[in-house]
Amino acid sequence: MYRREVKAVSKIKYFVQQSWLLILSSFCFGLLLAIANAAWSPRIEQNRINKLNALADRLIPGADFVPLEKSGVVIEVISLKGDRKKIDVYKAMSGEQCLGWSFNAVGPGFQDKIELIIAVDKDFKTIAGFDVLASNESPGTGAKIKEKDFQKQFKGKPAAKLELIKSGQAKDNKILAISGATISSEFVVEIINHYIKVVRQEMQKKGLLGNDKE
Amino acid sequence: MTKNSDTTASIYKETLLAGLWRENPVFRLLLGMCPTLAVTAAVKPALTMGLSVIFVLVCSNIVVSLMRNLLKPHLRILMFTLTISTFVTIADLFLRAFQPVMSETLGPYVPLIIVNCIIICRAEACASKNNLVVSIIDAIGMGVGFTLTLCVLAGIRELLSTGMIFEAKVMPDWFVPWAAMSMPVGAFITLGLLLGLVNRLTKGKS
Repeated sequence: MYRREVKAVSKIKYFVQQSWLLILSSFCFGLLLAIANAAWSPRIEQNRINKLNALADRLIPGADFVPLEKSGVVIEVISLKGDRKKIDVYKAMSGEQCLGWSFNAVGPGFQDKIELIIAVDKDFKTIAGFDVLASNESPGTGAKIKEKDFQKQFKGKPAAKLELIKSGQAKDNKILAISGATISSEFVVEIINHYIKVVRQEMQKKGLLGNDKE
Repeated sequence: MTKNSDTTASIYKETLLAGLWRENPVFRLLLGMCPTLAVTAAVKPALTMGLSVIFVLVCSNIVVSLMRNLLKPHLRILMFTLTISTFVTIADLFLRAFQPVMSETLGPYVPLIIVNCIIICRAEACASKNNLVVSIIDAIGMGVGFTLTLCVLAGIRELLSTGMIFEAKVMPDWFVPWAAMSMPVGAFITLGLLLGLVNRLTKGKS
């Protein structure tokens, strides 16, 4: 019994001898990271909000964007991967009048995921536009999803199922693909189609929109 | 006494210059190839990556050098990784807070500094065997050598792919930008040509 206790104590002693530096360093580094995170995380969050607001303001000019979360409404939708995901939905207000909605959307891209901000009118019937929050598409081709020439096609289109075409006129619900970047264009259209549908459904469920079909 | 201080000064000078040319991490040791190829489409992100690597290298070399006599041989790689990942996370948070645009441009390549071979190589080859001053000088030499290499590569690629340097137009109006130079193919071709050039210049000298 005594021998076993001595063995156990020496095992603990050996463990401490071997790993005290690792344990102490982990504690110190953890503390350092916690301080850095506490000091800079408000600024990082502010940068994210500023960027969202700047992009949303370009899509619905002159509006004040009020996050729905502020009024206690959380919007969760099924993402393109199939999992449930919380998204940030903003109500675009001008005084007392609602001008529209904006929300972020994310989906797969050609090289990496594509993150968009999408804006629609107050009834979710017309697309006010979209902009790219983050993407790593190929320079010279797929990266053109960030350019105004591609983005302006979406403005005023019906918030229904958009269709991508490779040539011809981008009329009605048709969007002309970027030459040499059909796959990136397809991903953008797919993300917009999916998120408009699921966000509308979720908002109708919450009673934020009427139940009329487009 | 004077001889001793002369020897020390020459060791410091040798250590500093080694990273810049003789043991340049990219051109001579072929280390840190991932950021060299991935973030050199323009000079600004290349410079930001280089400065981040200098910060991480200097901090990790300081910590490793200070704890070198306490390191257990079988735990040393674990300690190096822990140290490096701490400073990389701090660099990443700093960029996200104060340089959000650049942080977005660099994307996952800032967190990936953790697996940059230059840093673990200098911790193992220099900082764990030398005093604090030599370790700091080595980190500065290697870091500056890496940054300069990245900037040269990025300068050539940005110039040929956009006709600009630091977003300022440099090439004449008749110049047709080569979009391929901003793509991975441009990175491989430019790096290959520069490696060939450096090998040619140093042929027979080693």
